Formats: sequence, structure tokens, C-alpha cells
Amino acid sequence: MTESMTTDSIEVSDLSVRLGDRLALDSVTLTLEARRIAVIGANGSGKSTFARVLGGLIAPTSGSLSVLGVDPVAERTQLRRLVSLVFSNPDAQIIMPTVAEDAAFSLRSARLPRSEVAERVREALDQFGLTELADRAAHDLSGGQKQLLALCGAVIRRPQLLIADEPTAYLDARNSRLIADHLLAPSDRRLVLVSHDLALAERCDVAVLFEDGRMLGLGDPADIVSRYEASLAC
Amino acid sequence: MLTLYRPDTGWLHRAPAGPKAFVLLVIVLAVSLLPSTYLSAAIAAAVTIAAYLLSRLGLAELGRQVVAVRWIIVVTFGFQVLFLPMESAVANTSRVVAAIVIAALLVLTTRVADLLDAFERGLGVFCRFGLDPARVALVLAVAITTVPVLTRLAVGVREAQRARGARAGVRSFVIPFLVVSLKHADELGDALTARGVA
Repeated sequence: MTESMTTDSIEVSDLSVRLGDRLALDSVTLTLEARRIAVIGANGSGKSTFARVLGGLIAPTSGSLSVLGVDPVAERTQLRRLVSLVFSNPDAQIIMPTVAEDAAFSLRSARLPRSEVAERVREALDQFGLTELADRAAHDLSGGQKQLLALCGAVIRRPQLLIADEPTAYLDARNSRLIADHLLAPSDRRLVLVSHDLALAERCDVAVLFEDGRMLGLGDPADIVSRYEASLAC
Repeated sequence: MLTLYRPDTGWLHRAPAGPKAFVLLVIVLAVSLLPSTYLSAAIAAAVTIAAYLLSRLGLAELGRQVVAVRWIIVVTFGFQVLFLPMESAVANTSRVVAAIVIAALLVLTTRVADLLDAFERGLGVFCRFGLDPARVALVLAVAITTVPVLTRLAVGVREAQRARGARAGVRSFVIPFLVVSLKHADELGDALTARGVA
């Protein structure tokens, strides 16, 4: 297979997604070059569908898209190397029994030497403050710790793009802040953050607003958030 | 939770998973094939105690494992004593319990990831018949970790029913439990894809 050249942007052209009878995304066209992208909108607006299409979990019904130069439908294997996803429910993201094993699980498909896996797990657990919990049962962790582990499992693969779909939805304020700080920390990787937390969205470089499957706005997060809040007041 | 692994640095912990599984299998088979006498019961008990002491897991861990299989002991001994002489009932129950707790040494001293690696290697010979060992190992890993999640989902369904004043019943439990389990399966599928393994 010919591998396409990776780029730094996400390009979406006339993208539509139909889920059952519902048009979840309706002719979305945009180009995203910013490093940290917030996606906001009401429930059912299409923002999670947008994130899942970018992550290759849902195929578009029509239109085209390129994620860092990769077609998520035609080049799934390459997309997997570039993109990691984090979801809102950490329980569904934990695969292995213990914390260290779960972190290492993300590297299974990479077929790395054991020593490198061990080193990357050690680094990642340290980064997320999970070192002390390495041998603990993953499903016995608190919600915040589980989400940290899910994030750890996504980041350990060293993706160029991290897509986080409402990663703080199940968390209290303290854990939400902790996860947000990890997500928004200076890094080489890009971030697409789907969130209802408007303060979090304002910390990104650019924001996209969705409503009823359509993109209503794209630009400075403060402006987009103001516009969204104004629409809520109507 | 199904993570039975007890972190330690003992020789059994350090032993490679494949050969360890083979040796423990041989011991389990040997114990299982002992004749039905009081002497066999004593040998089975002695082998089990020695295995736990030598592995550095200790008698306290052995006690926990025996307590964990208490209902197997009750049922096995209860039925055997009804139809067999006391000596056979004691010996058979001892052998069954010894076999189970010796087999448990494998999961107590081996990380699941190492077990899966060994399993994957062991199944490698079936590649020529179209079997994908990595996929089989993945199914095992998912099955192991899904049990506690399903337990939690079941508890959640019962709590939701109680909160709404619903009476306990198999039918009223099974349908919502199936719905949340299928939703979990969907999410798990997405998570596996997201982590590059599906």
C-alpha cells in the first residue's frame, strides 16, 4: 500500500454522516490547522460524530476528509499509528486487569521489544501520577484515576493527534481540572477536544461550534463560546 | 476483580509463563491421578502446602484460595459422602481442591500480559490453519476484564430498579442488563479500535 504524506492539518470537505434516519453531520466543510481544537455544541449537535469520523470509528456517508494527510476510511492502519482517542466512560476503555498492564496493552500491536515497552510504561505512569498504582486492579480505581489511565493508554502510543470526546464528563471538578491540564499541557501532539466545558474550550487555540449537524462557527474560542452562549439565551 | 496476580520477586514469579504453566499442569495431573486413599489426601495437601511455601506466597494466601473455593468443597464433599465411603470422599475432595489451588499458582504468580504472550506463542503452531493467536489472546484478555465490569453493570441495574421502586425479578432485570451490556460492548469495541488493536 502506498503511504500518504502526513500533513499538519485536518481537512473536511462537504462531509455528511447519516446515522439511521438522522443526518448527524450535514455538509461540513472546514480546515483545521491549529494545535488545540475545541469542538462545542449542544447534545446531538454532531460534535461527537465529528470526532468519531476523524478517529475512523464512523465512515462518512458522503464528502471527503483528510486527517494529518491520511484518509481515515482508506488508510485505517496508518490512521491508527497517528491518532489516539479518549472517551467519556473510562470503564469501557480499560482492557487489562492491572494499571501497568493496561498501559502496556496499547503497545501490543506495535510489537516493541519488552525493555522498550517497560520503559514507556514507566514513563507514562510517572507522567500521569500512576506509578504507585501500577499493580493495582484497574477497575478498582476511582473515576478520575481510571480516566487518567485511559489518557495514559492513549498517550503512551505517542500519537500525533489525540481526540478526546468529553473526557471530563464523568468527573468531579478536581479530576476534571487534572485531566484538562494533562490534555492541554504543551506537547508536540495535536488535540481535538469535544467538550461541554466552555472554560476548557476557551483554553484551546481554536473552537468549532456545531448545531443540528451543521458547523455554525469556527475561530477564536472566546468568540465562538460567546456565540454559543448567546444562542443558548435565545 | 479477576486480577489475582500477587506482585513479588520469587523464583516462581520470575519463571517464564509457558514452562511454568506446563510444570503446574503436570503437578495438577499427578495430584488428580492419586488413588482414593487417606494417604493420597495427605500427599495432595502436602504438595499444595509445599508449593505455596516454595513459591513464597505463604500459607495465608493458600488459606485465601481454599476459602475462595469453599462452596466447591462443600458440594464435592457433600455429594461424595452420600454415595462413597468416607475415605474416598475425603481423598477425592482433597485432590480436587489441591488441583484448583495449585493451578491458581499460575495466575497468582504471572501477570495476565505474560500469560497472554505465552498463550499467543503456544497457539502460534495453529497459524497455518488460519488461526490468529493475537486475536484469540485479545478475546481472552477482554473476557477476563469484562467479568467485573458486567458485575458492576448488574449492580447498577438493580440499584436503578430499587431507586424507582421496581420489584426484583428475572425478566425485569435481564432486559435492562442486556441493553447496558450491549452498550458496553459497543464502547469497548470503539476503545479497542482507538487503541490500535482491532
